[in-house]
Amino acid sequence: MNKSAYKILNTALVCALPVLMFSCRAKDNYQGLEFSPNMYHSVAYEPLKQITDKEAGMWVSNRADGKGEYYNSNEFNPHRMNMREPVAGTVSRNKDGFLPYRIKKDDWETAAKNLNPLPDNDAVLSEGEILYGKFCQPCHGLGDGQGPVGKVMMGVPAYNKGRLAKLSEGHIFHAITFGKGRMGAHGSQLNQKERWQIVRYVQALQQK
Amino acid sequence: MLERQSMMLFKKLTARSSLLVVMMFGLFTVMATGIASAQDAASIPTDPAVVGAGKTLFDDNCAVCHKVHGQLLGPALKDLSKRRDVAWSKAFILNSQKVIQSGDADAVALYEEYGKLEMPAHDFSDDELNAILAYIKDESAKAPEVAQAEEAPAAEEAVQELAGIFDNKYMSIILAVNLLILVLILIVLGLTINVLTKYLNEKAELAEEDRELASQRFDFRAMLASKPVVFFVTLLFVTLVTKTVLDGLFSIGVQQGYAPTQPIAFSHEVHAGQYEIDCNYCHTGVTKSKNANIPSANICMNCHSTIKTDSEEVQKIFAAVENNQPIEWVRVHNLPDLAYFNHAQHVKVGGVECQTCHGEIQEMAVVKQHADLTMGWCVSCHRETKVNAEGNPYYDKLVEAHNKRSKEPLTVEDIGGLECSKCHY
Ligand code: HEC
Ligand code: HEC
Ligand code: HEC
Ligand code: HEC
Ligand code: HEC
Ligand code: HEC
Ligand code: HEC
Repeated sequence: MNKSAYKILNTALVCALPVLMFSCRAKDNYQGLEFSPNMYHSVAYEPLKQITDKEAGMWVSNRADGKGEYYNSNEFNPHRMNMREPVAGTVSRNKDGFLPYRIKKDDWETAAKNLNPLPDNDAVLSEGEILYGKFCQPCHGLGDGQGPVGKVMMGVPAYNKGRLAKLSEGHIFHAITFGKGRMGAHGSQLNQKERWQIVRYVQALQQK
Repeated sequence: MLERQSMMLFKKLTARSSLLVVMMFGLFTVMATGIASAQDAASIPTDPAVVGAGKTLFDDNCAVCHKVHGQLLGPALKDLSKRRDVAWSKAFILNSQKVIQSGDADAVALYEEYGKLEMPAHDFSDDELNAILAYIKDESAKAPEVAQAEEAPAAEEAVQELAGIFDNKYMSIILAVNLLILVLILIVLGLTINVLTKYLNEKAELAEEDRELASQRFDFRAMLASKPVVFFVTLLFVTLVTKTVLDGLFSIGVQQGYAPTQPIAFSHEVHAGQYEIDCNYCHTGVTKSKNANIPSANICMNCHSTIKTDSEEVQKIFAAVENNQPIEWVRVHNLPDLAYFNHAQHVKVGGVECQTCHGEIQEMAVVKQHADLTMGWCVSCHRETKVNAEGNPYYDKLVEAHNKRSKEPLTVEDIGGLECSKCHY
C-alpha cells in the first residue's frame, strides 16, 4: 500500500469513529449499546417486563439452564407473564383492619345501609379531596359532571341535584367499587380506606 | 224501470253501506284509540306551576342524558305522549330495566337501538312523574332553541396560531433580507476594487512597486497551506472528534432518549395533557409501592367502554379484555438489577414531581426516557435536594439533631442517601 492511500484510510477511520460512537446512542426503538449486559439483564423475574424469546442474548449467556441472557419470562404462569394474579379469594392483610367488602354487585339496597367507618374530621376530608382530584375529577369535575373527560363522555350527573343529592354514603361507596351504569368500577385502583375518604368528599359536594 | 232503478240504487247503497260500515268501524276504532290516547295524554297536567316543577326535576335528573328537542345520550323526548302511553312512560322512567326485562317489545327495541345503555332507575312519586311528563309535553309544543354557535374561541385560536406562523415567517424574512444586503455590499465592494485596480493600472506614471501592489492577487491556496491555519484546523478537528467519541463512550449503557413503539398508540399528550387525567389514575402503585405500575386494560375500559369505541387502536383494548390477554407494553425505563429504586419513597414521602425525573410526559405522544438514570444522576439529586420533612413527624428528631450541628437545610445526603447499601444490596 502506498503512503497516500494509507493516509486516506487513516483519516477516514478517524472521521468514522465519532459517527460510530454516535450510533451507540439510544433512539426510538433502539435501546443503545450496553457494556456488561450480564449486569443489566435480570435473571430473576422482573415485574412489568417479559422477554419470551429463549434465544435472546445467547451471545453473552452463561446461564446454567442454557437460555439466552435476556430471556425473562415465567412459562408456568398464564400468558407466560412474570407477574401473577393473587389466588381468587385471597384476603390481603392491611393495617387499617378492613375486612373484605362482600356486598354483591347488584345488591344496592344492602350497600346503601353501609356506614362509613372513618371518623368525620378534616383530615379525612382533605385526603378525600386529594384522591377525588386524581380519580374522579377528570369525569365529575368539581361535582358538576363537567370534567374534561366528562364532557366527551356525556351523561355524567351532578352530585348536588335530583336523585344524586340524596345518595347515602354506602351507595356512593358501592358505586365507586363496582361502578354503575356507564361509570366503570374503580375498586381495583383504590383500596377501601381511600374509597371511604373519597365518599366523605363526595358528600361535601352533594351539599354544594 | 223505476223499480229496477231503485233496486240498483238499493244494491249500490247496500254495497256502499257495507263498505261504509267497514269504513265506519275502522274509523271508530281509530277514533276510539285516538280518544283513548287523547284522554291518556289529557291526564298530563298543563298547569304552569306543575310544568315549572317538572322542569326542575327534568333539569336535575334527566338533562345530562336527554333533551326534548334533539338526541343526547338518550332519545329526544319531543312528543313522548304521542308516541307512548302514559303508564308505559311512567314505568320506564321509574325502572327502565324492569320494563325491558318484562319483554316489552317497544322497550327492548329502544334498548337495543341505544346500544344497551342503561337508563338509571328513579324514585319518583306519581305527582313528580306527572310533572316531568307535563314539562316534556309543554316543551314539545315550543320551537327548539337555536343552539348558540360556539365557534368563536376556535376561530380565535386559529387566528393566534396564524399569528404564530407569521411571527416565525417574519423572522426568517428579516434574516433573508439582511443576508441579501450583506451579499450586495460584498458585490459592490468587489466591483469598486476592480474599478480602482483598473484605473491604477491604466495610469502610466505609477511606480513599479506600486504597480505590483495594485495588481497583487490574493493567493487562497497559499493561505490555506500556511502553518497557523493548518494548526488551527487540525486542533479544531481533533477536539471535535475527541468530544464526540467521549460523549459516545459515556452514552454506552445509558438509554436516555429510548422511545419504543408501543403495541397500542397510547398518547400521554392526549390523556395526561389534554384531558388532564392524573398520573395516579393509571399508575396506581406510584404512591404505594416500588413500582408505579402500568394500568391493566380494565382501567382503560373505565372510559373507553364509551369513548372512541370505533377507533382501531381502542378496538385493541377490547380484544385484550375479551381474550383476557394482557397488553404487552414495551418497558421504557430499565434500571439494572443491581440498583434499587422506589417510587413511593420519592413521590409520596419525598414529594418529588414525576416531571423532575420523567420529563414533560404530558406533552409526549410516545414516552421517551428523559433522564439518563445513571448513578451520578441519582446521587447529585440526593446531594442537592432538601428532605420534605414538613408535616412528617418521622423526621422531627432528625431535623432537630441536624439543625444543632449545621446551618444548612437537611438534604437527602444527610439522611444517608449516598450510602451504597441504600441503592445496592
Ligand atoms: C370515566 C369517567 C368517570 C370517573 C373517573 C368517575 N365517574 Fe362517577 N360516574 C360517571 C358516569 C358516566 C356516571 C353516570 C352513570 C349512569 O348513571 O349511567 C357516574 C355516576 C356516579 C355516581 C352516581 C351513581 C348513581 O347511583 O347513579 C356516583 C356517586 C359517582 N359517579 C361517584 C364517583 C366517584 C366517587 C368517582 C371517583 C372515585 C367517580 N365517580 C369516577 C363517570 C365517572
Ligand atoms: C344515564 C342517562 C339517562 C338519564 C339520566 C335518563 N335517561 Fe331516559 N333514557 C336514556 C337512554 C339511553 C334511553 C334509551 C333506552 C335505553 O337504552 O334504555 C332512555 C329512554 C327514555 C325514555 C323512552 C323514550 C322513548 O322514545 O320511548 C323516556 C321516556 C325517558 N328515557 C325519560 C327519562 C326521564 C324522564 C329521565 C329523568 C328523570 C331520564 N330519562 C333520565 C338515558 C337516560
Ligand atoms: C390513561 C392512563 C395513563 C395516564 C393518565 C398516565 N399514564 Fe403513563 N403510561 C400509561 C400506559 C398505558 C403506559 C405504557 C405505554 C407507554 O409507555 O406509552 C404508560 C407509560 C408511562 C411511563 C413509561 C413506563 C416505562 O415503561 O418505563 C412513564 C414514565 C409514565 N407513563 C409516566 C406518566 C406520568 C408522569 C403521567 C402523568 C403526567 C402519566 N404517566 C399518566 C398510562 C397512563
Ligand atoms: C379517564 C378516561 C380515559 C382513560 C382511563 C383512558 N382513556 Fe384513552 N382516551 C380518553 C379520551 C377522552 C380520549 C380522546 C377522545 C377524543 O379525542 O375524542 C382518548 C383517546 C385514546 C386513544 C386515541 C383514539 C383515537 O383513535 O383517536 C387511544 C389509542 C387510547 N385513548 C388508548 C387508551 C388506553 C390504552 C388506555 C388504558 C391504558 C386509555 N386510553 C385509558 C379517555 C381515557
Ligand atoms: C426520583 C425520580 C422519579 C420520580 C419522581 C418518578 N419516577 Fe417513575 N421511574 C423512575 C425510575 C428511576 C424508573 C425506573 C425504575 C426501574 O427500572 O426499576 C421509573 C419507572 C417508572 C415507570 C415504569 C416502571 C415502574 O416502576 O412501574 C412508570 C410507569 C413511572 N416511573 C411512572 C412515574 C409516575 C407516574 C411518577 C409521578 C407520580 C413517577 N414515575 C415519578 C424515577 C422516578
Ligand atoms: C429529583 C431528585 C431525586 C432523584 C433524581 C433521585 N432521588 Fe432518591 N431521593 C430523593 C429524595 C427527595 C429522597 C428523600 C425521600 C424521603 O424523604 O425519605 C430520596 C430518597 C431515596 C432513597 C432512600 C434514602 C433513605 O435514606 O431512606 C433511596 C434508596 C433512593 N432515593 C434511591 C434513588 C435512586 C436509586 C435514584 C436513581 C435511579 C434516585 N433515588 C434518584 C430525590 C431523588
Ligand atoms: C442513590 C442511589 C445510589 C447510591 C447511594 C449508590 N449507587 Fe451505585 N448505582 C446506582 C445506580 C442507579 C446505578 C446504575 C447506573 C446505570 O445503570 O448506569 C449504579 C451503578 C453502580 C455501579 C456500576 C455497575 C455497573 O457496572 O453498571 C457501581 C460499581 C456502583 N454503582 C457502586 C456504588 C458504590 C461503591 C456506592 C457507594 C459509594 C454506590 N454505588 C452508591 C445508584 C446508587
